[in-house]
Amino acid sequence: MIMNVNLKPILSITCALAVALSSFAAERDLKEVVVWGRRPMKEIGVQKTTFDSLALKENIALSMADILTFNSSVFVKSYGRATLSTVAFRGTSPSHTQVTWNGMRINNPMLGMTDFSTIPSFFIDRASLLHGTSSVNETGGGLGGLVKLSTAPDVVRGFQAQYVQGIGSFSTFDEFLRLGYGNDHWQFSTRAVYSSSPNDYKYVNHDKKVNIYDDDKNIIGQYHPTERNRSGAFKDFHVMQEVYYNTNCGDRFGLSAWYIDSNRELPMLTTDYGDERDFENRQREHTFRGVMSWDHSRESWKTTVRGGYIHTHMAYDYRREVAEDLWADMTRSRSRVNTFFGQAEGEYAPTRKWYFNAGVSAHQHFVRSEDKNVIQQNGDKAIVGYDKGRIELSGSVSAKWQPVDHIGLSAVLREEMFGDRWAPLIPAFFVDGLLSRRGNVMVKASVSKNHKFPTLNDMYFQPGGNPDLKSEQGWTYDAGLSFDTAGKNPLPFTLSGEVTWFDSRIDDWIIWLPTPKGFFSPRNVKTVHAYGIEARLNLAVKPAEDWLVDINGSYSWTPSINDGEKMSPADQSVGKQLPYVPKRSASLTGRLTWKSWSFLYKWVYYSERYTMSSNDYTLSGHLPEYYMSNISLEKLLSLKPLDLQLKLAVNNLFNEDYLSVLSRPMPGINFEFFIGLTPKF
Amino acid sequence: MEWDYDLDDETFDAPAHGLFIVNEGSFQYGNATLSFYDPQNNNVENEIFLRANGMKLGDVAQSMTVYGDKGWIVVNNSHVIFAIDTKTFKEVGRIENLTSPRYIHFVSDEKAYVSQLWDNRIFIIDPRRYEVTGYIDVPDMTMETGSTEQMVQVGRYVYCNCWSYQNRIIKIDTETDRIVDQLTVGIQPTSLVVDRDNRLWTITDGGYDGSPYGYEAPALYRIDLETFTVDRQFRFKMGETPSELNISGDGTRLYWLNEDVWQMDVDAARLPVKPLIKSRSTKYYGLTVAPVSSEVYVGDAIDYQQQGIIYRYTSGGDLIDSFYVGVTPGAYCWK
Repeated sequence: MIMNVNLKPILSITCALAVALSSFAAERDLKEVVVWGRRPMKEIGVQKTTFDSLALKENIALSMADILTFNSSVFVKSYGRATLSTVAFRGTSPSHTQVTWNGMRINNPMLGMTDFSTIPSFFIDRASLLHGTSSVNETGGGLGGLVKLSTAPDVVRGFQAQYVQGIGSFSTFDEFLRLGYGNDHWQFSTRAVYSSSPNDYKYVNHDKKVNIYDDDKNIIGQYHPTERNRSGAFKDFHVMQEVYYNTNCGDRFGLSAWYIDSNRELPMLTTDYGDERDFENRQREHTFRGVMSWDHSRESWKTTVRGGYIHTHMAYDYRREVAEDLWADMTRSRSRVNTFFGQAEGEYAPTRKWYFNAGVSAHQHFVRSEDKNVIQQNGDKAIVGYDKGRIELSGSVSAKWQPVDHIGLSAVLREEMFGDRWAPLIPAFFVDGLLSRRGNVMVKASVSKNHKFPTLNDMYFQPGGNPDLKSEQGWTYDAGLSFDTAGKNPLPFTLSGEVTWFDSRIDDWIIWLPTPKGFFSPRNVKTVHAYGIEARLNLAVKPAEDWLVDINGSYSWTPSINDGEKMSPADQSVGKQLPYVPKRSASLTGRLTWKSWSFLYKWVYYSERYTMSSNDYTLSGHLPEYYMSNISLEKLLSLKPLDLQLKLAVNNLFNEDYLSVLSRPMPGINFEFFIGLTPKF
Repeated sequence: MEWDYDLDDETFDAPAHGLFIVNEGSFQYGNATLSFYDPQNNNVENEIFLRANGMKLGDVAQSMTVYGDKGWIVVNNSHVIFAIDTKTFKEVGRIENLTSPRYIHFVSDEKAYVSQLWDNRIFIIDPRRYEVTGYIDVPDMTMETGSTEQMVQVGRYVYCNCWSYQNRIIKIDTETDRIVDQLTVGIQPTSLVVDRDNRLWTITDGGYDGSPYGYEAPALYRIDLETFTVDRQFRFKMGETPSELNISGDGTRLYWLNEDVWQMDVDAARLPVKPLIKSRSTKYYGLTVAPVSSEVYVGDAIDYQQQGIIYRYTSGGDLIDSFYVGVTPGAYCWK
């Protein structure tokens, strides 16, 4: 039994908007664009960003990194398609963002972070961000927050199929296939996506000059070359199988299994003077993730049990051709991760005013990391690496209370353990209140103390791992105001927005520093004060019959300041913004829909990112602010045997010459054309 | 995005004597830089390679060697060595497509050796044509475990320490470009110098706890080049991290880093008990000794993500000057 604030007037209008346009595309759930203000008791005081299905299913070439870039206040650090894409959520480091898929944490236990470029958005049906404190409701360790991803049964009766082919610049090909079947009880879905590209886009290399020599090898001229992105090719294959069974008597069973086969070259830096034909720099990944679930719902209570397994095999090869067709390994590293997952949750709502929740989860990791092959002093071969297992337990209890309709209170207590160490208790408190029914104006506030365990590499990597590291930990405070409203005059519209202030101090921040022995080693050294404002606004207007305008904007101001002690008398980093965290960012998406046409404009802005902890301006370490614009135009043709979807996407519309990461140029204007076929059975 | 590149190249006219500081930068950032310090006027110029040439130095600058009027900067992860005019800092040539270059040593005007990491070959270079002309294969080493480092020459032989997961000093005959002998020392010899009596010195780091190659107390070794054997060994405590072995211009005093800056006479019977310059919560990373004045220059990389600072001390250990340079100042080169 989920309690909602009564928003009948708004819902009736938004449903009307959705129904009016529901003929556009069967797979699109426009209701999600315009339905606002639902407040389950579970979400009392929670700061949450939900991505609608239109954003997630925009095109098959997008990964979750692209979705986060253009639809949220999270900074995504990436250097192009199919390259490592990590996030800085509220100015924290990538490992401070927890990521769950169908309830199972999928952060790499060796590195702590998640590469969002390996998550195709077409494989995700529901996605949301839980900002800061709000993540404690689901998991610990999310000092920045939680990215919550899941799959869901598609409500189909009978057979369903969809095939999309994308053909783009730089010989890029994307293919997507989905087959589904459903009846009253069963839902089956199979999805597959295959993307490949040499990804050899052109750019002017401002970091390098080519010399022109005379016969005596004297330089007689120099120029910045126009180069192609070298060693950037990728081939990514994903397949996902889902099976759901619903008894229609309160029990639902689900199985989701996802396999990834990724083969990517690692692009060369702009300052690399090696011949790409002589070097191979490649990363291959095989990952399987599977989750089984059982939901048991009754009038006033619900239980959920989940079990899962992750297997990841990563191979990194750095090789050089030493003679014709004779390649020698310079680095040959391998890692294997096996994770077993179990979770049980219970919810109980005895009255309209009370809601209780309790849950426990366990992730058992087994990691084998082989980083380097060496020859020992006696001539035997040996491997530099580690082989470790670690159990991570998390348990929580929470109580939510709504003494009157317009006030909600929530308390969460979470306890976590990693290996044989227990973290101190993680408390979180939330409050929200409805200030005005008119406009559904709500105020929210929360506070929590959170802990983040060191990763397995932090503790055991050879050489440098530091088993004595402490957990990173800190207090986070949130307060915000939200509203959502709808009307019919002068035009049917919905308008909603939210502004949140947050403040968090993270102590014992872990950073890897070089040692006199020539390798890096992690230490708890920094205190970081991350604070700021996040704001979102959504406007959906129906200006005329068959027309819909939908605009989403977000803005964030996130100072993330080194607040620790000086590391050395000459240290100039105290009181300065952390490297690679922009202070300001903004995004805007605008969608115009008319009958079966749809036009989308996406824009994002990032302020300057410092590459030095002292925030010094230097010519060699400067990443100026940039703006990025993408557009797409889509047409749906409903033919007798099938629906035909045609789409043209233009990325980097104004051919901006820009960098997101130092020495990693991004592609200029590029195009991709998609054709989608949805047969009618 | 507004670019700051393509600025007009600056014209420099550097004094005849001074100190180049090679700032490694951060791995994979491509933000290595070169600084020049004029000790006469206590003046430092930073980012001189970019300012003189309108392009970046590259990723992880490892070392620099001056030969004649050219300075040769080895940029490890850019697979390149740039040659610059030491007066104007303008590029005069480059050697490209190296594996993972570490140091360059000039045998003559016509020949130089380049040591490598992740390569079991020392590259032979023709510095007049900026071309690779051959290789010296190092025995008992694969590409993956390849590591040749600093090189010093005595007579017709070049000696080179093999560092990463290695424990050897190799001896190269410069007339045949072949390795003619090798000497086993302790685990991971980091640096190499020759004293006034033509004795070779190296300092090992001892490996690390858990290394399959072994972990031992580091040591300072004195090697008799007549017999090519270790004639003296000075052992440090387990867990200490000596590195950056240097020698005074007259070849009489050794210097190294081991948290503090240490100095020892080449004829001393035991390791010193007091440092020359004590660490003041500093992260000393690079060290050099002025060839004539024996002034000591030591760099503090701080957090390795900001401009490092160089402290200049008298030969007696009194502070004279300090100046900020680039990120992670790791190597020096006197002109």
